[in-house]
Amino acid sequence: MPSYSITRPSRQEDYARFSPNTPIVIDNGGSSFRIGWAGESDPRVTFRNVVQRPRHKATGETVTIVGDHDPSLMKYFDCTRTSFRSPFDNNVVYQFEIMEYVLDYGFERLGANLQVDHPILMTECICNPLSSRSKMAELLFETYGVPSIAFGVDAVFSYKLNQQFGRCNEDGLAICSGFSASHVIPIVKGEPVTEACCRTNIGGYHVTNYLKQLLSLKYPYHMSSITWEKAEELKMEHCYVAMDFASELQLFQKGNEETKEKTRCWQLPWVPPTQGDVPSEEELARRAALKEKQGQRLRDMAAARKSIRITELENELNGLEDLLQQLDEVEEPEVSSILSGTKFFSRQEIESAILRVTQSLRKAKGEPSEPEEKNDSSLSEKYPLVSVPDELLSPEQLKEKKRQIFLKTTSEGRLLAKRKRFEEESLREKQNQLDEEKRLENPELYLEQLHDRYRELSEKVELRKRVKTNGNQNLSGGVGRGERLSAAQKERMRLLTSAAFDRGKVLMERIDKSADIKLQVDIDPNFVPKSDLVPPQATPEFSKFRPQSLEDFKIVLGVERFRCPEVLFQPNMIGIDQAGLDEMAGISLRRLDRVDDPIKDDITKSILVTGGSALLPGLLPRLEAGIRQIRPYLSPLTVVRACDPILDAWRGASIYANSPQFSLQTLSMQDYYEKGESLLWQYQIKYTI
Amino acid sequence: MEAEVVGSEMVLPAALPFKRVQMSDKYPKGQSRGRHWKHLKQILQAENYASLPAHEPNYLNIESPPSLYPSKKYCDMTGFEAPYTDPRTKLRYANPDVFKRVRSLPNEYVQRYLALRNAAIILR
Repeated sequence: MPSYSITRPSRQEDYARFSPNTPIVIDNGGSSFRIGWAGESDPRVTFRNVVQRPRHKATGETVTIVGDHDPSLMKYFDCTRTSFRSPFDNNVVYQFEIMEYVLDYGFERLGANLQVDHPILMTECICNPLSSRSKMAELLFETYGVPSIAFGVDAVFSYKLNQQFGRCNEDGLAICSGFSASHVIPIVKGEPVTEACCRTNIGGYHVTNYLKQLLSLKYPYHMSSITWEKAEELKMEHCYVAMDFASELQLFQKGNEETKEKTRCWQLPWVPPTQGDVPSEEELARRAALKEKQGQRLRDMAAARKSIRITELENELNGLEDLLQQLDEVEEPEVSSILSGTKFFSRQEIESAILRVTQSLRKAKGEPSEPEEKNDSSLSEKYPLVSVPDELLSPEQLKEKKRQIFLKTTSEGRLLAKRKRFEEESLREKQNQLDEEKRLENPELYLEQLHDRYRELSEKVELRKRVKTNGNQNLSGGVGRGERLSAAQKERMRLLTSAAFDRGKVLMERIDKSADIKLQVDIDPNFVPKSDLVPPQATPEFSKFRPQSLEDFKIVLGVERFRCPEVLFQPNMIGIDQAGLDEMAGISLRRLDRVDDPIKDDITKSILVTGGSALLPGLLPRLEAGIRQIRPYLSPLTVVRACDPILDAWRGASIYANSPQFSLQTLSMQDYYEKGESLLWQYQIKYTI
Repeated sequence: MEAEVVGSEMVLPAALPFKRVQMSDKYPKGQSRGRHWKHLKQILQAENYASLPAHEPNYLNIESPPSLYPSKKYCDMTGFEAPYTDPRTKLRYANPDVFKRVRSLPNEYVQRYLALRNAAIILR
């Protein structure tokens, strides 16, 4: 398990101090990458085994960031399309491009200058697929030019270290619950028995992810606050393994004092809503003044616009009048020459334009437009051709006549509509007055009448709706034709259709019967449609608005505290159909078919639990209880936790690489170029040297 | 680059002196790389474990078998033991109170609860 401090590892300065024979030890774990020198007690550099490749906002280039980083610095980067990427798929390295970035960073932090001329011991999972291992060798040899490499299993290194500390024996069982998988590896005579080990694809990642998902489903409003990092932190701080899961659940289901003590709360930052504090006098005055000022500005602007428009129109009018005057003064033949300079073609057009401009001027000035009734008298004068018979007119005049007739009828129609509207308005006014009188006279009666009318109308609406929905009163308001039929109706339809194909007597009878039933239902006086009983409203607690309180920002960890780690023992809970940690120990012992029972007893006498999940409180007693169930009655059993479940793998590897015989276990670059992949095929280091 | 970013040394340098092949030479820019990394499933398929003798340990056959204990059913929302299953949403629930909450859940949440135990319907 990584610690989420954002302090970035600093570059080591003393790289040159180490002789080329000193191996570099790398613990390439699913969650963190540790690199350091063989023989030292702690890794020099540790960081989260992830890579992010955001785009730098200022320069636009894609940069590589390995490990965790300060989120406050991310404002310089565009992370929209990049998230954390891990080189691992399950517990096998598959993305060697990302692995290369991680290694780059690791060597760079370790202080490598010109070349990485040290042997390398790297951890991998047990039974690592050959292609993954050979790609890793290729990367180390060809890209970094490493002289020699060795691969080992982290859990075994951890076991060997604890064996040196005297916590476990030569024969034993290493139970390693890592980030993405858990292993049980039996160790006989100091060597791991690969064919008897077993793996379940469950680890700390699944626990954290389960916790995160559960919390974000429980508190959908706070989904953004429940990040992966936070869930990891909560897991490390509060999760525990229940000794007896079922009874612990029952305890919580009953909910007494004890469970209250066991429940943890995580209070999210919460700002109480500002209580409608009354603004002071002067504040109010200030606001009113501001409002008034803004209003005045708007009014001024409108006035200015209006005056501009008026002057514009006046200018236009003056121009037109001048033009008309000119036309009056000159002789007939010159008229066309004057008109050609303007956009008008005749005197009439100018006149009508003047009329239009004066009207809009009047409008702009806010004077009432001249009443249209005035035109009434002049109707016959305006349309002189209408009353003249067709025979007396030239074709052009006929055309003009048609136009005049059209104009006349439309204007007449407009007048009529206006008159009608006026009448209606007066009628409505009268009605309103009557209503008002009635209301004043007898308010209750008036109200009742109104209610009656409302009911009548809504009934009508309802009726229409029912017609639309085939008489089905469905709450969702589906429409008639697309409406789904109820089960009974469907059955009826099915029968009818099948009956249409084979007119069997029996079927007809059944139809009749079902029709009878339907009839009974229809005339049943007690029958009440369901929708009348249940008002189509959401339950009041949801619809009612409630201001958010401190309680709403509290994230309660009750059952989750032990529910999430339980997936290690019951992978079925998250849909992984494999045995849990305690059963795995049994499976591993069963797979040790060539080992006698007394030795198995020896093995169970020294069971070492390592890996990040071993830090969960309560894991050991639970594991012991679980394994005791599997083992024969009164067989010996000792379960111990590794000294430091997280760092022991690296420390063990460091001691191993520091031993003088280490160089015999490595693969040199020369071998690699001579034999290639086949060299790695049967490669297995001896852990006892 | 901003001084803050440079100071934190968070960005990996593009070229490192100790490498024989630089990243930019290996994965040239602009060349569409596609997805050329085999996932674990493909790796395991390519390993062709079936052709090897069965007693030889490999990544696949060291995997633990399904549990021998009968799997217990737990309430999807509360985590308590669940005697009931809602036939409509397929969610398990512990008591009537939870059932009410189950029924008021929007479908998206139902699917997410189901996905937690790998039982969601995935439409492809």
